[in-house]
Amino acid sequence: MRLAHAAIAIAAVFSVALPLFGSEYQIYLAELILINIVAAIGLNLLTGNCGQISLCHASLMAIGAYTTALLTTRLAVTYVLALPAGVVVTTLLGASLGYPARRLSGLYLALVTLGFLEVVSIAIEEFPDLTGGVRGLKLAKPELVGLLLKDNALYFFVLGMTALAICAGWNIQRSRYGRAFDAVRQSVIVAQALAIPPGRTKLLAFSIAAAFAGLAGGLFTAVVGFIDPTEFDISASLRDITFIVVGGLGSVAGSVVGAVVLTLLPETLRGAKEYGDVVYGVILLGALVLAPKGIVGSLAFLARRRDSKGGLT
Amino acid sequence: MFGARKLLSALATSLSFAMLAAIPAAAEQGVTADSITIGAFGPITGPAAYIGLAGRDGATMAIKEINAAGGINGRKLNMIFEDDGHSPAKALAAVKKLIDEDKVFMLFNVAGSNGTIGTIDYVKEKGLVMFVSFASAPGVTWPFAKNLFRGGTTEVPRYGELYAEYIVDGLKAQKIAILSGREEYPKNEGDALTKQLQKWYKITPVKRAEFNIGDKDFTPQLLDLQQADPQVIAFFGNPAEAAIALRQAKELGLNQQFFVGTTMVDQGFLTAAGPAAEGASGFALIPLLPGSSNPAMKAWRAKWSAEYPNLPANRPNIFDVLAYADMYVVAEAMRNAGKDLTTDRLIDALENLHDYRVGPIASPRSFAKTHHIGNLRLQPMQVKNGEWVQVLWESKRPSDILQRYH
Amino acid sequence: MTWRIALQLALSGLSVGSIYAIVALSLAIPFKASRVLNFAQGELVTLGAYIALVLSSYGLPYPVMVPATLVIAAGFGILIERLFIRPIVGAPEFTLVIATFAIGLIIRALIRIHWQDNVFFLPAPYSGPALAVGPLRVNPSYLVIIGSTAALVTLLVLFFQQTRLGKAMRAVAYNQTAARLMGISVGKVFGSAWALSAAIGAAAGLLLAPVAGINPELGHLIVKALVAAVIGGFGSLGGAVFGGLLLGVLETYAGALFGAALKEVIPFAILIAFLLVRPNGLWGATQVRV
Repeated sequence: MRLAHAAIAIAAVFSVALPLFGSEYQIYLAELILINIVAAIGLNLLTGNCGQISLCHASLMAIGAYTTALLTTRLAVTYVLALPAGVVVTTLLGASLGYPARRLSGLYLALVTLGFLEVVSIAIEEFPDLTGGVRGLKLAKPELVGLLLKDNALYFFVLGMTALAICAGWNIQRSRYGRAFDAVRQSVIVAQALAIPPGRTKLLAFSIAAAFAGLAGGLFTAVVGFIDPTEFDISASLRDITFIVVGGLGSVAGSVVGAVVLTLLPETLRGAKEYGDVVYGVILLGALVLAPKGIVGSLAFLARRRDSKGGLT
Repeated sequence: MFGARKLLSALATSLSFAMLAAIPAAAEQGVTADSITIGAFGPITGPAAYIGLAGRDGATMAIKEINAAGGINGRKLNMIFEDDGHSPAKALAAVKKLIDEDKVFMLFNVAGSNGTIGTIDYVKEKGLVMFVSFASAPGVTWPFAKNLFRGGTTEVPRYGELYAEYIVDGLKAQKIAILSGREEYPKNEGDALTKQLQKWYKITPVKRAEFNIGDKDFTPQLLDLQQADPQVIAFFGNPAEAAIALRQAKELGLNQQFFVGTTMVDQGFLTAAGPAAEGASGFALIPLLPGSSNPAMKAWRAKWSAEYPNLPANRPNIFDVLAYADMYVVAEAMRNAGKDLTTDRLIDALENLHDYRVGPIASPRSFAKTHHIGNLRLQPMQVKNGEWVQVLWESKRPSDILQRYH
Repeated sequence: MTWRIALQLALSGLSVGSIYAIVALSLAIPFKASRVLNFAQGELVTLGAYIALVLSSYGLPYPVMVPATLVIAAGFGILIERLFIRPIVGAPEFTLVIATFAIGLIIRALIRIHWQDNVFFLPAPYSGPALAVGPLRVNPSYLVIIGSTAALVTLLVLFFQQTRLGKAMRAVAYNQTAARLMGISVGKVFGSAWALSAAIGAAAGLLLAPVAGINPELGHLIVKALVAAVIGGFGSLGGAVFGGLLLGVLETYAGALFGAALKEVIPFAILIAFLLVRPNGLWGATQVRV
C-alpha cells in the first residue's frame, strides 16, 4: 500500500512539473493520456465494476466532443459553459442505453451498443452542414473566462479536470452506488434479493460512464482542435476497452495505468514504422497472456500472496 | 508627470519584448553547416498506408539522389518520417514531435487530407514551411497562408473545372450522372463537378447517387442511374468499389461511358476492375503513369526497382512519383534560396519558381506571391486495351480559381 | 418502381445477402463451438482469401487450390489457438475478447504490409458474365455462394449432431466444467473449434474472392455478419444464413427507396429492434440446439 501511495505522489508531482521541462510534443501526449484516463475511468465503472459490456464508449466521447464543438463554433457559447453542456447531453443520451441493458446482457448488450455506435457515426456524417460530416470540424482555441486556453494553461486545465474525474471515480466506487454496481455484476438475482434494483443500477452505470466520456470528448476538442467521425469508430471503442483490460478491471488505478501505458505505447512504437500495428498487437497479446487480470489486478494479486505468505509464521 | 513617463516607457519596453517573444521564432532550426533536416509525415499504418508508404519511399529516393549529386549548396538533406495513422490526433502528435523535438527546418506532408487539416493551425502558428504533396483539402491554400504550399494535387475546385470541361467539351455529353462515395475526397470531387457544370455550362446532373465505402452491391444506385438515361456516368470513390460498380453496371445493361476520379487513374484500378475498366476515362495526377512505356518513365522505374527490389504489387504508384517530384521542387527552391537558408528565403524562392519540374515524369510547378497552388494541370487518360493511355486533349478554358487570390 | 426493378432489387439483395450469409455462418461456428465472440473471425476470412491468392499465383488448378486453402487455414487456426488462446483460457471474458481483437489486428497489419491495400479479384471456374432470367440479371458467382452455403450448413448440422467431435464441441460450449468431468478434452475441442472456424472462414473468403474483392479490410464484413447472426439466432446455423439473406434484401430495398445514408443505418436499426424485441433471433434458443 505504501508503494501505491508513493507512486501516486510521484505521478502527481511529475504531472504538475511537466510543463517546466517537457517539449510541446510531450505536453500534448500528456494531454491525450489525461483525456484517455477520464474516458477509461468511466468505462471501468460500467464494465469493470458493473459488468456491462459497452462497445460504444467512443461514440459517447463523440457526442461530448461534437456537442462542445458545435456550441462553441456555431453558437459562440464560451467553452467553460459548452464543456459541461456536452457532458449533460452525453449523459442523457448514454442513459438511453440503460433501457436495453435492463433486459440484455453479455453478447447481446454488446451488439446493442455496437448498433448505437454505428447510428451515432451515421448521424454525424448525415448532417454535414451542422457537423462538418466526413470532412470534420475545425475548432478555435477555447477560452476560460478570458484566458486563452493554449499551451500550459490548457495543460493545467485538462490536468485539473482529470484530477476531478479521478476523485469522482474513486468516490463513486466506494459509495453505495459502487457497491450496487459490484453486486449487479456478480449476480443480478442476489442483487435483487438485497433490494438493489438491477435495472436502475445499470441505468446509473451507463449514465455515469457517458458523463465521463462526454467530459473526455469535450477536452479532446480543446486539445486536438479538429474532430472527425473516424476518430470515434469501433477501433476507438475497442482501444478504450484495452485500457481497462490491460490496466485492471474494476479499479481506478487500473484505468489510469492502462490509459498511460496504452496511449504511450503507439508513440514509443514510432520506430517500428509500418510494423507499428503488428508490434502493438503482439505486445497487447503478451500483456494479456502474462497479466490476464490486468497490470493493477496482477500486482494486487501478487501483493496479496506475499502478504498472506508473510502471515504464516 | 515624470513617474507617468517612466511608467509608459517601461510599459512600452515590456510590450515590445512581449511582442517579440510572441512572434514565432524564424525557424533556422534544422539547418546546420552541413545538413538540412526535413520532417515528413503520412499514414504508413492503416487503410491509407499505400499513400504514406509511397510518399515516404518516393521522397527518400529523391533525397538519396540529391545527396549523391552533392546536396544543396554544400549541405546534405536529411529526412525524419513519422506515421500519422491517418488520424488527425496522431498527425498533430507527429508534427509537434518533428517541430519541437526533432527540430526540423520544414515539413514535407504526404498525409492526405485527413492528417493535414488538423495540423494547419499549428503549423501556421509555428511559421515553418509546410509543403503538402498530396491533400486536396481546400484549407491548405485557401485562405492564403504564407508558409503553406501545395504540390502535386491541386485545389478541389480545379478538379471540378477540368472534369466539367472534359465531360462537356471533350466527351460531348450533356446528360451527366454522378455516383460518389460518402467519404471526403470522393464527395469533394462530386460536389466540385456539380458546381462547375452549373457555373460554366448551366447543366444540372440528371442524377446524383451516393454509396457507402465498403459497399459490395450497387444495384439500387445503378438502376436509378439507368432510369435517368445519362450519356456519361462520373464515378468517384475507391478502386475496390469502382471495380464492383463497373462490373455490375455492365451486367445490368448500362453501357454508358464511365468517367472516374483521380484515385482510379492508377494501376490498382486496372488490377481490380479487369475488363470492366475498358473505356473508362479520367484525369491523372501525373503526366505519365508508372506503367507507361515512355522512356523517361521506364528509366525512372528502373531506378526505383533498384532502390526498392522487394516491394508489393502495384508499387510504385502515383504517390511514389508525386512525392519524388515534389521533393525535387523543394530541393530546387532550397538551392535557389542560397547558402544563407532561412524560412523566409525559402518562401521567396518557392514563390519565384516557374514551371519547374524534375523531368517529363512530373507536372510543372509554379507558385506566386498571391497563391501557393503549385499545379493546375492534370493529364486526361483513357483505358485502352487494359492500360491507361494519354488522351490528346487540352483544356482551353482559363481557370477561375486564381481570381479569388487577388 | 416497376416490376422489373423490384424483382432485380430482390435478386441483387439475395446476391449481396449471400455474402453476408456465408460470413455469418463462419461467425456462428466459433460461437456454437466455444461460446466465444471471436473478433478475429473477419480476419480469418481475409486470411483464407489471401491464402487462396498465394496458392493460385503458383498456378494450382482450382480443384486442388480449394482443399489446400481450407487445410492451410485450419492449420493457422490450430496455431493461433495453441499460441495465443490456450494460455488465457481461464481469464475473464473481456480478456479473451480483446485477445481476439489483437489477433485480428496483427493478421490485418501483416497482410497490409505485404500486399498493401490493393484489391484483387480471384476468378473462379464458374465466374462469367451475368445470367439472364428474362429482363433480370444475376451473376453466377452469387448462385454458387448460396448453393455452397446451403451445402455447408447441411454438412455442419450433421457434424454437430452426429459426430463425436461435434457433440463434444456443443457440450463444451454448453458447460465447460461438466464437459471436462465427462472426460472431454477441452483443449483439443478448442483447437478443433478454431481449426473449423478458420476453415469455414477460408471457405467464405474463397467464395467471396470473385465478387467482393480481396483486400485487407475484407474482415469488416463481420459487422454485417453479426447483424445477420442476431436475426437468425446465434445458436442456429441455418438461421444465420437466413439472417444474411434477409439483411441483404432489406438493405437493398432501403437503398433504393431511401438512399445511401439510410441503407447504412438499416442493418443497425434492425439489429437494435431484434435485440429489444426478440434477442434470440428467429431460430435461436436459450439452450444449444441446431
